[in-house]
Amino acid sequence: MSQYYKDAEDLYRIYGYFLDRVLKDEKIGTKMSKAGIIIKFMYTDPDAEITIDLKNPPSKPGYYGSFYLGPCDLKEDVWSKQPADHSHRFWHGLENPIAGITKGIIKQGGKVTAMLKLLPVIKPAFQLFPVALKEMGLERLIVTKK
Amino acid sequence: MKGNTGRIADVDLSSGTVSILQLPEETYRRYIGGSGLAARLFWDRADFSADPLSPEAILILMNGPLTGVKLSGVSRMNATARSPLTGGIAESSCGGHFPPALRLAGFDGLILSGRAKSPSVLLIENESVSVRDAGNLWGMGVLECTRELKKTYGKKSTSLVIGPAGENGVPFACILNEAHHAFGRCGMGAVMGAKNLKALVVQSGAGTLSLADPDRIKSLTRELNPRIKDYLISQILHDYGTSGNLEGHMYDGDVPMRNWTSSYDEEMASALTGSTLSETYLKKTATCAYCAVACKRIVQVDEGPFAVDEGPGPEYETVVAFGCLQGSPDLAAVCKAARICNDLGMDTISAGATIAWAMEAYEKGHLSDEQTGGIPLIWGDMDTVVRRILPMMAARDGKLGALLSMGSAAAARSIGADSIAYTAQSKGLEAPMHDTRGGHGHALAYAVSPRGACHVQSAMHFMETGACNYPEINFEFDLEALTHVKKAETMVLAAAIGGIENSACLCQFADRSLTLPEIVELINAAAGYGYDVPAMMEAGMRVFSLKRCINYRFGFRAADDDLTPRMKEPARDGDTAGIEIHFDEMKNQFYELMQFDPARGVPSRKKLIALGLAEEAEIVWSQEE
Repeated sequence: MSQYYKDAEDLYRIYGYFLDRVLKDEKIGTKMSKAGIIIKFMYTDPDAEITIDLKNPPSKPGYYGSFYLGPCDLKEDVWSKQPADHSHRFWHGLENPIAGITKGIIKQGGKVTAMLKLLPVIKPAFQLFPVALKEMGLERLIVTKK
Repeated sequence: MKGNTGRIADVDLSSGTVSILQLPEETYRRYIGGSGLAARLFWDRADFSADPLSPEAILILMNGPLTGVKLSGVSRMNATARSPLTGGIAESSCGGHFPPALRLAGFDGLILSGRAKSPSVLLIENESVSVRDAGNLWGMGVLECTRELKKTYGKKSTSLVIGPAGENGVPFACILNEAHHAFGRCGMGAVMGAKNLKALVVQSGAGTLSLADPDRIKSLTRELNPRIKDYLISQILHDYGTSGNLEGHMYDGDVPMRNWTSSYDEEMASALTGSTLSETYLKKTATCAYCAVACKRIVQVDEGPFAVDEGPGPEYETVVAFGCLQGSPDLAAVCKAARICNDLGMDTISAGATIAWAMEAYEKGHLSDEQTGGIPLIWGDMDTVVRRILPMMAARDGKLGALLSMGSAAAARSIGADSIAYTAQSKGLEAPMHDTRGGHGHALAYAVSPRGACHVQSAMHFMETGACNYPEINFEFDLEALTHVKKAETMVLAAAIGGIENSACLCQFADRSLTLPEIVELINAAAGYGYDVPAMMEAGMRVFSLKRCINYRFGFRAADDDLTPRMKEPARDGDTAGIEIHFDEMKNQFYELMQFDPARGVPSRKKLIALGLAEEAEIVWSQEE
C-alpha cells in the first residue's frame, strides 16, 4: 500500500504537474534534452508508467522534451522499474539510486549508462518536487529527512 | 596445493641466486594470498631498520588464489615493500597480463632482495628464474623498453618494467605491465630500481591451473561472467572507462579541484568526463587478462601541442590529477601527461597532486622563482607541466625537479611556510582523486589506511556510495555521504573486506557485484581453503591488523592516522560547501570498535591474539612507549 499515492491517476496528476515544470525549466530541461534518449519509468504500487522523450522534437513549444502519462507506443532506449514510493523519496533527493540498484529495489534495462549521465543533470529538480507538491496543495506528501 | 602453485621464487639479486620457498598450505589459508600473504612474508623477512632503497630492503610480488581463473577481475597481483615515499608499508595492486603468466610459469610470487651488480632483467620461464644483463635497457622509457623486451623474449612474453623515475629513485616511481597497467602507488618502481632491476619478464607460462574443484569453477565462471558484464558499474566502465561518472562525482563534491580549493566546476567535468574522451580521442578499449569489462582506454591525439600516438590512455585518477586538480579542462593535455608519466614510470596521482600543491604554493608566494629555477607554476599551464616539469621530476633535475620529485609532503616540509597544511596526503601518500568532503567516510578510510591516503585498501568508497550490499554481515546501512553517522561501524567491515579483496586480488571495479558468499565459493573452489563468510572476514581483519603492526614497527602511531587541514576543512563551493567533517568522532569510534590502542594505533594484545597473531602481539606490545 503506497504511503503517498492513492492510485495511478493520483500519481499521474502529481508527476504530470512536476514534469511540466522540469521540462520547461531552462537550466534543467536544456541539459536533459542533450541526453537524446527515450526513458520509460515503470512503477509498482500503484502500477503506472511514464515515458519521457528526450530524443524527438518536443511536442509543445517552450518545452525541452515531451512526457506521456500511462502506456504509450514509443519504444524506449532505457527503462527503469521501482516502487512508486521509492521514486517519490528519490525526487526529494532522499534515495541513493546506486544503492537502490545494488539492493535490487530499482531494476533497469537498455542504455543504462545514458540514463546514469542524467543523474547529475536532474539533481536540481530535487528542489522543484516539494515545491510542486506545495503548489498543488499537497504539503502532506512532502518528505523531510529523518 | 590447489589454486596456488605453492612455489614462491626467493631471488637474491646481489648473488644472483634463486631458491624456491614453499609455505605451508595453512599460511595461504590464513592470509588468503596477494596482499595478505605478502604482508605475512614481509613481517617474517623484512629488516625493519633497512632503508627502502637499500639492498637489504625486500620487494614482494604476490598473486591471489584466483589469479589465472577465467573470470573477469580476478587476475591481479600485489606488490609489497617499505615505501620510499612514506617510510611505512607500501602496497600496490596491478592487473594486466603479468599475474596469470607468472602463475602459469609455476609461481605464486617472488621475493626480491639484494642489489644486482649491474642493470638486470629477471627472466621467468617454466618453473625457472634467472638474472640476465639489461645494460642496454637502462635509461630507456617504459614504452621503448617494453617493445625491446618483446623483441628479445617474444611477442607472447609479458613484462614488468620501470622507467627513468624508478632508476633515479623517485619515491613515487611505479612499475608498469605492457606500459599500461601499473603498480602505481607508494614508489614500487624506486624500490625495484634500487635493486638494479629494470624489468621482470615471463617468457612462457605453459602450465595449467590445478584447481580444487574445476567443475565448480567452470559453473561459477559461466554464471558470474555475464552478470559481471551486465552490472551497471561494469557497463559504465566499459562504455566510458573509469572516468565515466566524473560528472556525477563532481555533483556529489567528490572531485577535488585546484588542489582541493574547489569542488565544483560543471564545464570542467563535462570537458574531462569519460564520454567526452570516448567522443574525442578514444581509438579502442583494452582489458586485463580474462576480463570482459574492458575499462582500459586506448587513445590518440592527432594534432596540437599535446598530440600522442595511439596507445594507453588515462584512467579517472589521471584525468582528475592532470585536469581538475591542476585547473585544466584540456583532455588532450591529460592524455599527453598520462603517456609521459607512463613512459617515465611515475605514479600519476602523486605526480599530479604534487604539481597541484606546488601551483598553489607558487600562487601564495610560498614557492619563489628562485626555488623553481625561474619556471612559473600557473594553474592550467599544461604545456609547462608536460614539457618541463614531468621530465625534470623523473630526472630529479634542477631545483624544481629535485623539490617536486620528493612528493608533496617532503617538498612542503622542505619549503616550510606551513605549506604542509595544504598538501592533500596522509602518512605522506598523496590522496587519490576522491574528495573527503564529498564522502566523509573517505576521510576516515584515508586516515587509517596502512599505506596512507587510499580509497582501495578498504571497501569504504563503494560502501559509502551505495555500490555494495552485504546482508550476510549485517551491512544494509543506507549511508549518507556528508555525515559521520555509521561511518566508523562501516569502516570496521570495510577494513576486513578490503583485506579480502586485496588479498584475493579482486578488481574492485569489475567484481563489485560479487557477494561475500560468492567470493567464498570462488576461493574454495579454486584453492580449497574451506572458508565460510566469518572465516574469510576474520582472515581479512587479520591482514588489516598485521599491516597495522608492520607500520607500528616502522614508527607509525595513532597520531599518524590523520589528514591535513586542507582535507578536513569544509568545501568552499558546490553542494558540499560549508559542511564540517567530524573526523575525530569517527576516528575515536573506529578505534574503540577495533580495540585499537589510542596511542600506539595497533589492536589490543587480546584482539591480536584472537586473530591468531600472538607472536606479533608480543613484539608490538613488549615495546616500551
